[in-house]
Amino acid sequence: MIRTLAVGILLAIAAYSQHAASYDSDRKVTLKGTVTRIDWVNPHAYFYINLKDAAGTTENWAVEFGNPLDLEKDGWKPSSLHLGDVVTVEGIPARGPEKRALANSVTVLGTGKKLFTAFAPRRAASGSQPAPRWPDGRVRLGAPPGKKGYWGAPSTTALVETTAAKIPMSRDGLLVNLAHADKIAPFLPWAKAVYEYRQRTLLRDDPITRCLPPGGPRAFQMPNGFQFIEQKDLGRILVLLGGGDRNWRVIYTDGRKQGEADEVVRGYYGNSVGKWEGDTLVVDSIGFNEHFWMTAGGLPHTEALHLTERISRPDFNTLKYEVTVDDPRTYTRPWSGGWTVQWVPDQEIQEYFCEENAEATFVR
Amino acid sequence: MRFSLNCRLVGLIVALALGCLAQQGHPLTGTWSGDWGATATQRHQVTLVLNWDGKNVTGLINPGPDAIPIKSVTVDVSTWTIRIQADGISAEGKLEDLGSYHRTITGAWQQGTVKGDFKITRD
Repeated sequence: MIRTLAVGILLAIAAYSQHAASYDSDRKVTLKGTVTRIDWVNPHAYFYINLKDAAGTTENWAVEFGNPLDLEKDGWKPSSLHLGDVVTVEGIPARGPEKRALANSVTVLGTGKKLFTAFAPRRAASGSQPAPRWPDGRVRLGAPPGKKGYWGAPSTTALVETTAAKIPMSRDGLLVNLAHADKIAPFLPWAKAVYEYRQRTLLRDDPITRCLPPGGPRAFQMPNGFQFIEQKDLGRILVLLGGGDRNWRVIYTDGRKQGEADEVVRGYYGNSVGKWEGDTLVVDSIGFNEHFWMTAGGLPHTEALHLTERISRPDFNTLKYEVTVDDPRTYTRPWSGGWTVQWVPDQEIQEYFCEENAEATFVR
Repeated sequence: MRFSLNCRLVGLIVALALGCLAQQGHPLTGTWSGDWGATATQRHQVTLVLNWDGKNVTGLINPGPDAIPIKSVTVDVSTWTIRIQADGISAEGKLEDLGSYHRTITGAWQQGTVKGDFKITRD
């Protein structure tokens, strides 16, 4: 039970962190108004309310209140709310001047009924079982036959060096104290200055907010999870990503050698070759472009980035992810970090297309 | 007419798409273009191609037959002040709007005995 609750909370926090760049969690807002429109659309449902400001002028606010697929699993329907209902919304406002808020609670006046309880815990894996295996004895990274599920709720959403002490930061990687930047990774001076700039500007330039893919380790930290499709006959593993643009990454396991760094076509997910060392999949990746941040919080990298990832499944419900970052143009030495990810049983990755929720800053 | 309109539309889409592909690595890496001059009316187009190799920023001014190799680039990351030295050219400017897709460097440019200002924008 405790485990179920804990994983549920982790999923909830992960979902929340997706909004951190858009909403200012340091502020609260209470809105009371009349519902004028309801958009029950994936990935983020909105309703709109008219309310009067201090000067008596009518304002129309957009209120985001969850993912409709999640809401429906929790028993809510589009008809749970009606045009003309007068509601009180407790939530957090958007960063900047937009009249938009993310609801923590919605209460219908008159009845006092609370709607759309924010981020209700998902049903999570219970108990600990051994990791599933293929007939040849190798660990399965995906669901066993006849089952479904995916990986979600990473234990952290920002990559930091393993040797670093626990550094206080928000789920979107904003440091509580910028003076701790030195502990995050062994930056070269320019990289530290860039990291600090991104922190000081509240991560506003994060390419993720423009729907660019979550390259590098970040792919394993996205709120909407990921899934492994092991195509043993084709000698490759596909990593299907629920976040970003609902795209995928290919890890070749057919024994091919890694390409030459100067010759591979650069991309967001690089050129990845993997091999099994016991129950651990070791993935070597080069050929990254410089169009993404490899983790929340704004760690920079260059085209010289070389990742060595170690992926294992110590039990049915846990995926262990470790990565060594080697980028001599950005960091003074190779360094490592990692986290665990929880199994979300009996569910598929939900449909999510970032573009449907693109910020106004998508093109500027 | 329709063809011309379509071409412009495609061009706009490409431009917008390229605008989204910001280079997030070393802030100086890339191609910069703009102009310099002694007065507002006497301007000279200039293009710089810069690259961070892990130890130094290297590059060329006006790549092509008359390219001028850059001898040195120094960067003060505390202020993002950039100093560029090349044959007959000395420039010092400030990198601004670091996180922008089209960040700029503006400052003072001296070529031979002519002193002026410059502004270059990352393409």
